[in-house]
Amino acid sequence: MKKQLDSIVTHIVLIAVCILFAFPVLWLVLASFSKSGSIYDIDGFFPDQYSLASYRRLFTDTTMYDYPNWLGNTLYVAVFSSLIGTVLVILTAYTISRFQFKARKLLMKSTLILSMFPSFMGMTAVYLLMVNFGLINQLWSLILIYAAGAPMGYLVQKGYFDTISNTIYEAARIDGASNITIFLKVTLPLAKPMLVYTALTQFAWPWSDFILPNLLLKNKDLWTVAVGLTHLDETQFTRFAAGAVFIAVPIVILYFALSKFLVMGVSSGAVKE
Amino acid sequence: MNKNKSSYIVFASRVLMGAGQLLSKQWIKGMLYLTLFGAYLVYMVFAGVKDMIGFFTLGTVKGDAWLGIQGDDSIIMLLRGILMFFITGMFVMVHLSNVRDAKMTASRLNAGKELPGFLQAVKTYVDKKFYVIALVLPVIGVLVFNVLPIVFMILIAFTNYGGDIVPPELVDWIGLGNFKTVLGLTEIKGTFFKILGWNFVWAMVATAVNYFGGLGLALLLNKKCVKGKAFWRMFPILAYAVPGFITLLGFKFMFSYGGPINYYITMQGHHAIGFLDIDAGWTARIIGIAVNAWITIPTSMLLATGILSNMNADLYDAASIDGATKWKQFTKITLPFVIFSTTPVLISSFTGNFNNFGIFYFLRGGLYNEGYFLASDTDLLINWLYNLSIDNNYYGIGAAISLIIFIITSIFSLQVYVRSDAYKKEDTYR
Amino acid sequence: MAKWKKWLAVALCMGLTVSLTGCGEKQKASDETIVIRILENDTAKKEGYLDALLQAFNEAYKDKGIQAVDANMEEYTDLAANGPYGYGPDVLYQANDKLMTYAEDKHILPIDIEKLDCYAVTPEVAWDAFKINIDGATYTCGIPVNIQEPMLFYRLDKLPEDWETTWDKDNNKVADFLENWNDLYAYSKYLRDNDTSQNKNAQYGFMSSMNNLYLNGEFLLSYGAYVFGSNSDGTLNAADIGFSAGDSAKGLMAMKQMAALMNEGCIDDTITMNRYEKLADGTYFCAVSTPDTYSLFIEKLALTYESEGLTAKAAEEKAKQNLMMVELPGKLPADGDLTKDSASMSDSDWVDTVVMGGVNGYGISSYTKYRDACLEFVNFATSYEMIQTRMNLLGIAPTRSDVASESGGVTDMIFSSLAEGRIYLMPSIKAVDQIWVPTHTLMGDVAKDPYRKAAGETEKYTSLDDMLAALKKVDKDIYDAVFTLKK
Repeated sequence: MKKQLDSIVTHIVLIAVCILFAFPVLWLVLASFSKSGSIYDIDGFFPDQYSLASYRRLFTDTTMYDYPNWLGNTLYVAVFSSLIGTVLVILTAYTISRFQFKARKLLMKSTLILSMFPSFMGMTAVYLLMVNFGLINQLWSLILIYAAGAPMGYLVQKGYFDTISNTIYEAARIDGASNITIFLKVTLPLAKPMLVYTALTQFAWPWSDFILPNLLLKNKDLWTVAVGLTHLDETQFTRFAAGAVFIAVPIVILYFALSKFLVMGVSSGAVKE
Repeated sequence: MNKNKSSYIVFASRVLMGAGQLLSKQWIKGMLYLTLFGAYLVYMVFAGVKDMIGFFTLGTVKGDAWLGIQGDDSIIMLLRGILMFFITGMFVMVHLSNVRDAKMTASRLNAGKELPGFLQAVKTYVDKKFYVIALVLPVIGVLVFNVLPIVFMILIAFTNYGGDIVPPELVDWIGLGNFKTVLGLTEIKGTFFKILGWNFVWAMVATAVNYFGGLGLALLLNKKCVKGKAFWRMFPILAYAVPGFITLLGFKFMFSYGGPINYYITMQGHHAIGFLDIDAGWTARIIGIAVNAWITIPTSMLLATGILSNMNADLYDAASIDGATKWKQFTKITLPFVIFSTTPVLISSFTGNFNNFGIFYFLRGGLYNEGYFLASDTDLLINWLYNLSIDNNYYGIGAAISLIIFIITSIFSLQVYVRSDAYKKEDTYR
Repeated sequence: MAKWKKWLAVALCMGLTVSLTGCGEKQKASDETIVIRILENDTAKKEGYLDALLQAFNEAYKDKGIQAVDANMEEYTDLAANGPYGYGPDVLYQANDKLMTYAEDKHILPIDIEKLDCYAVTPEVAWDAFKINIDGATYTCGIPVNIQEPMLFYRLDKLPEDWETTWDKDNNKVADFLENWNDLYAYSKYLRDNDTSQNKNAQYGFMSSMNNLYLNGEFLLSYGAYVFGSNSDGTLNAADIGFSAGDSAKGLMAMKQMAALMNEGCIDDTITMNRYEKLADGTYFCAVSTPDTYSLFIEKLALTYESEGLTAKAAEEKAKQNLMMVELPGKLPADGDLTKDSASMSDSDWVDTVVMGGVNGYGISSYTKYRDACLEFVNFATSYEMIQTRMNLLGIAPTRSDVASESGGVTDMIFSSLAEGRIYLMPSIKAVDQIWVPTHTLMGDVAKDPYRKAAGETEKYTSLDDMLAALKKVDKDIYDAVFTLKK
């Protein structure tokens, strides 16, 4: 009896929490299907009439707002940032977790400190740096910055590697494997869930960031979706919503496809007991 | 070979990079070092020296776009100067490795051992010093794109850059001038402490809400009676998938006078509520905390879910045999374990919240409240800093204030981190 | 010595002032085509004007080897941040306050305006918006194109049927509520009082987001307030801030009265965002907006007619016939009391409405490689034909008197308002960036007062003294924002 009550209460709370999370998203999604093309004439949360017009305009009306093009740019940047960034993060985390060397603690402390800087002025510096190297209006300069900054967030991955027992490595070592071989043949297969998690988070960041691309991309043809959306007219809320929904879809799909790995991956991110 | 010859090798490589290697007939290695030395020399001659002088003078010729005079751009010069020091630093490291290598060669020769061939040497190095090879790229990347901008910012704090002094005007070093200005502004002190107080409250409450919210949700989902966990987990992930700035704009509209919430309120015949207007005060603060929670709880839930699934179930079994209540199990077993495991995440989440610029900038920007010096009662230090300096283009002073904020947060966080079990006993659980 | 150098610099600058010099000879020598990048605003792009302009120019200058292309950048691109590094446009169209902040640091070139076609037909006051004083000499750094000021939009088919008998007391065939604010207040009140909908939210009169200084500046500027005062030499003095000057406290009282006839949406940006739809569906009788939003109103109004059963084409036709864009009523009560009956007031009881406005125009980047070609371009773009095309496509109010007077109507009225000083031009100095937050805060706060009363809270601004104190605080806040960190 007590158990049943507990179960009922649990589910009520769960439903409440899920509504809290789903409702604003649902609002945004339904607004994007509003027929009138505006959110300001909707009485209350949801439109009376629905249509696909916003999405059709998103992909066909491209003279001012070239959404398909932005999508392509975003995909290019996000995929390559994710690939390179993941390699760098995994390499960093594995090395710091596995090897003992002089600068190790120093590296760990300094990355922690570095991540605490308020980043306004840093942005000016990045802009000037890219100006100095002539890398403005280049999509791959974004990839460079995203990928280069990725190792700063190595802590979760390091935690994962901390949980892999040393005996595995030592066994391989005795078999005469070099460190590179160990990394490629032993570590990487073991770290599959972590690889997936890292790749996903490294993908999601450029996918939705607008500060950096806004700074470095002056040419409208090179804009990413996030930059483009921020420049939409105030009256185009439904189109804005449509663009926002569309950009969220790939991330949701990816999460579902990989959710099993993801939970495994993050779970191992903590120091294991 | 005699002892003399081998110390000669070390000496030679000290004087000229790669010379020692060449003398001991390690041609490829020697040439590589020598080429690097040459490259550095060329860089210094064609740019480095100029950049170094520029770093100290910050420009001498004022430009005039009308006359077509391409003057010195102080800020670019500062940046190139920093870059020069970085490159020189790297060169020194390479040089030291060259000397170390020469010493090793010398001792090998002294011991009468044969020197390994180039390929063999590379192979051994890659294996023995795998961590160096692995970290070179990440470290260089972080140095250029994270450390360099921060060094740049720190140095800006010691210049008069900003206000009327922006290129083409020439910027100068002014020592501690900006810090004196900031500390000498008596009228801002009252506001500073008010905002600092709220900033700490915000950072702690926001971090706690996000953290325990995520943990609570994970615990709920972890219950045996909950079926279809993947389905339930879907909802928070939906929230995660929407880009943050879009979420913020959406919430701002939702709580505005013309938004859907006020629509229903007025439909019921009540007066519309100014959730975020000038009188909102704590209402706006609480909305900020709630919206922030909505954005971050999904990630902390995922993290907590993972950690909980890693926990040893035996602990609970033992506890329930002992007759411990659910609450006691949580506070005595779950919580310490989770906190231990996530200290670094907790710290970076605290500092992230402390410097959370976006939330109130998007939700309630463009207000100055009574009793505050050019700030609203929801502004955090970072927002105030933005109002005061960056928005006004006072970069030098902005950098100085950032530096002060940074010192406060970093000392605090580093202390917590270094004292935490997660840092001290990181290898205990292998 | 220093002085001598300064004079030399001035002389050099004068000499270098870009001027029309039977351009092209030198440039033609090289066979390459000169390409200049033009930054126009989004509306011009969306409505097809930019294409028309570029096509016409490229056709005309084919032989001279000059080609103009769309810079394809964000319309508010900051020239100061991008120009020096070569990432800015060659020619840019922006508002006078924006262009002139560039001029302060010489990011845009001074222009020898007397050689331009539009020089003689553009009024002095429009040129003044682009004048700057550097090292004792005055330069003009922009070419005016059109005037921006808040306008009143309404639907012709929503005028009350009896307006000629009930709402035109002076029988001049213009409804009184379009002529003076007391009658606009009276008509708005009439609409509110007769709103029979359940929640009393179906019909409103005059609507505007009151927190917006740009849209509602008349409540201050008409009463003697100013933004920045002048130095003896005519340059602007950022230390002299005058929102509390004159009788502006009275104006604020009038604003509060007006706000009471709207809804809470006037406290934040709600009305600014929903005015297009709410005007189209008849909820708002009239709303304030700028001329460049004309096409947005048309779009929404056409949708309304379409949903009433018209074809898309007929709906657009009907929208164009019925959407009216006029200047704000010309007279405000001198004592700031909108509730008085206008019939009982004599001429001396009124003050002229002065709105906040701006002049948009072209500037030439100092970092362009082809100064002469750019000048040819702006000369072409401000020619009679192009300005006329611009006006027809975008509904702008040109600064060229010949185009304005020929088109007549509102366009000409806006033009005369500018020439006669009823438009207070946005000051062209950097410090202007700091006026928005303090005024935005105060105006929103005052607009909230009637709703505080309705909700049973205490009002904050009940007397002229309250208003004056608040305005003084605005002046001080702006002063602090500009000067606190200045040494």
